[in-house]
Amino acid sequence: MEVKLSRAAKKITSSSIQELSHLSQRCNAINLAEGFPDFPASPHIKNAAVSAINSDFNQYRHVQGLCDHVAKMAKEMHGLDIDPLTDVAICCGQSEAFAAAIFATIDPGDEVILFDPSYETYEACVTMVGGVPISSTAFYVVLCHFCFWDPIMALHIHVPLDPPQWTLDPSKLLRSFTDRTKAIVLNSPQNPTGKVFTKKELEIIAGECCRQNCLALTDEVYEHITYDNLKHISLASFPGMQERTVITSSLSKSFSVTGWRVGWAIAPAFLADAIRNIHVKVTDSAPAPFQEAALTALRSPPEYFESLRRDYQSKRDYMIKLLAEVGFKIDFIPQGSFFIFAELPDNCPLLDVDFVKKLILEAGVVAVPGQGFFNTNLPSTEGSNLSCFYQKRYIRFAFCKSDATLTMAAERLCKLLDAEGHLVLH
Amino acid sequence: MSMLAAQHGAINLGQGFPNFDGPEFVKEAAVQAIRDGKNQYARGSGVPDLSCAIAERFKKETGLVVDPEKEITVTTGCTEAIAATMLGLINPAEEVILFAPYYDSYSATLSMAGAKVKCITLHPPDFSVPIEELKSTMSKETRAILINTPHNPTGKMFSPEEPNAIASLCIENDVLVFSDEVYDKLAFDMDHVSIASLPGMFERTVTMNSLGKTFSLTGWKIGWAIAPPHLTWGVRQAHAFLTSASTNPMQWAAAEALRAPDSYFVELKRDYKAKRDILVEALKDVGFRVFPPSGTYFVIVDHTPLGLENDVAFCEYVIKEVGVAAIPTIVFYMNPEEGKNLVRFTFCKDEGTLRSAVERMKKKLKRK
Repeated sequence: MEVKLSRAAKKITSSSIQELSHLSQRCNAINLAEGFPDFPASPHIKNAAVSAINSDFNQYRHVQGLCDHVAKMAKEMHGLDIDPLTDVAICCGQSEAFAAAIFATIDPGDEVILFDPSYETYEACVTMVGGVPISSTAFYVVLCHFCFWDPIMALHIHVPLDPPQWTLDPSKLLRSFTDRTKAIVLNSPQNPTGKVFTKKELEIIAGECCRQNCLALTDEVYEHITYDNLKHISLASFPGMQERTVITSSLSKSFSVTGWRVGWAIAPAFLADAIRNIHVKVTDSAPAPFQEAALTALRSPPEYFESLRRDYQSKRDYMIKLLAEVGFKIDFIPQGSFFIFAELPDNCPLLDVDFVKKLILEAGVVAVPGQGFFNTNLPSTEGSNLSCFYQKRYIRFAFCKSDATLTMAAERLCKLLDAEGHLVLH
Repeated sequence: MSMLAAQHGAINLGQGFPNFDGPEFVKEAAVQAIRDGKNQYARGSGVPDLSCAIAERFKKETGLVVDPEKEITVTTGCTEAIAATMLGLINPAEEVILFAPYYDSYSATLSMAGAKVKCITLHPPDFSVPIEELKSTMSKETRAILINTPHNPTGKMFSPEEPNAIASLCIENDVLVFSDEVYDKLAFDMDHVSIASLPGMFERTVTMNSLGKTFSLTGWKIGWAIAPPHLTWGVRQAHAFLTSASTNPMQWAAAEALRAPDSYFVELKRDYKAKRDILVEALKDVGFRVFPPSGTYFVIVDHTPLGLENDVAFCEYVIKEVGVAAIPTIVFYMNPEEGKNLVRFTFCKDEGTLRSAVERMKKKLKRK
């Protein structure tokens, strides 16, 4: 009966994040793996949801006010003029907004450029519709000529961001475009690195998109979580970009309600329309009471967002200090999101997955091995083995946890240090 | 049609959701879950307690024992269960059989999956399954058949012979069954039978259902798919990228809901049966040719005795001149010609609203 599975389903394996989460549950480990808070959401937002349920906002609904607020926010943050009647599609989380955007734009055989590392779901989405997730490396040209090219198969290559600062090398980006390139996916602030793409980098990406006449699909869920007074800039705000960009985002991270499943896509009317139509066929409507509560959330005063940033920044600083003391290499300080992408100490011979398993078993702390965020299907040549080794040396720590949790994590991690203060794993 | 109805102040018997709310005990459970902090990502395949509650209810109703961990996936409404099933289990160009009229998301998601659709039309007055036509349409090339019982929009329920015939054909040709059973609690004239409970069928069936219709909470988006592990795996893969997880607090409330005492379900059925009888009697009286439903909260009628050209024209007329909205069945068919004589009314409205609608129709539509 296994033959009954679709080709696409067979290609996608279950999330390593979720598997380690199960092991960590069995070991009662402190979860610094999954990217959701263990502290409560703000009372004003929860009250709004409770009120909506009690006021009978419980049937299929489209809450136009939510579109109005999303449009207003886009204007305030990025200067974008969005028509709330036509340019916004409410979806069940950013997940569905992104999936619908992919279905709305990508055909089998289309190429989609992804950055490396990146959140693993983008690639899975593209694969599901038979698109080809693409990156460029020095080997790309070789592959094109000598590999068997099945457009339905996913030949995973990504535009690698250069460690340790995760900088964008424009030449690598340029090389990744072909006449089959349909779209580029940009997540900023980024999971897992915490990188916030600079204005210059965004200009380069925007310039190429316009020159190559392709679409941009952005994931901006961490838009309100940036540090050191850095502002998140939306790719759509660059010249020529609004007409070709789908912005996806949600309530989840900004309001600590990852389980409510309310998100949106902002796009030019023809695209938003297509996304909306797909959303209606896939889920019909986003959860009604939470659409209502979203109105309250999006009306939160500037003080709410300032305090969100401030709290997360102090958690970031605490975690960086802790991880550095424990021996991790933190060459890149996260500028946004609530993740730290820490490199294993040079004297630790383990690869990321084995390290994390030991971390769970010996320290009772779980984090995510970084390799799942990199594409690993490069051809096995000597050069590629060396240059890709770094992909198995990073660990992603989430710090969207209460101070008590982070303090306990610190105590447990410090137990792993020897007399000299070096990390010891048996 | 809804917008037109709103413009003209028409009573909306078109849209398939209640104008009354769900039971207090379920809403309270959701409120409690929110206050208890269950506001973060639920496990992708579903909150364990809900999966257990679904398994318990399924056992009660079908006698089948399923493993909540491996054989149940919670989805964002039954609509997403359908989408995840299609995308997770159907490859491009694979053949799927569909009965028309059908809930319009079926054709859309089949198209997204790139399936080759073979459509068999169910005809009034019984909308019975044409077994001979099914036999000649199904072959070893067929990957799956999609069935919906109780059926939207006709309100038909599959008679005992029909699932048996479908089952034996599916076993013979090694075909999967995707069974949409969202209206299973609204079965008035006969018992609902899940095709998965027939011999040899569980291993090849995805049984889909949801909270919304049974508990009048259609906006909560809690649904599920029950299937053997090898099929569940495909459904979960697709679900993982479609919405990744369903609403957490509502899942906790759904577990409470599914453990409601039998009296809840008995009363639900009784209430809807009474509403059905009010509407069916009225529609007959007005002069429609009515096909009384055995289940769901929909009734299909042939509007042609009232003299209008087609279903869309009829619905527009009734909204503007009578102040009642129904919906044309055109969207439920592959071939629009097939539905032009039929329109769908719903009776998932409080009794007062139904009686007002009935009065308007008797006053302005009935031939003297």
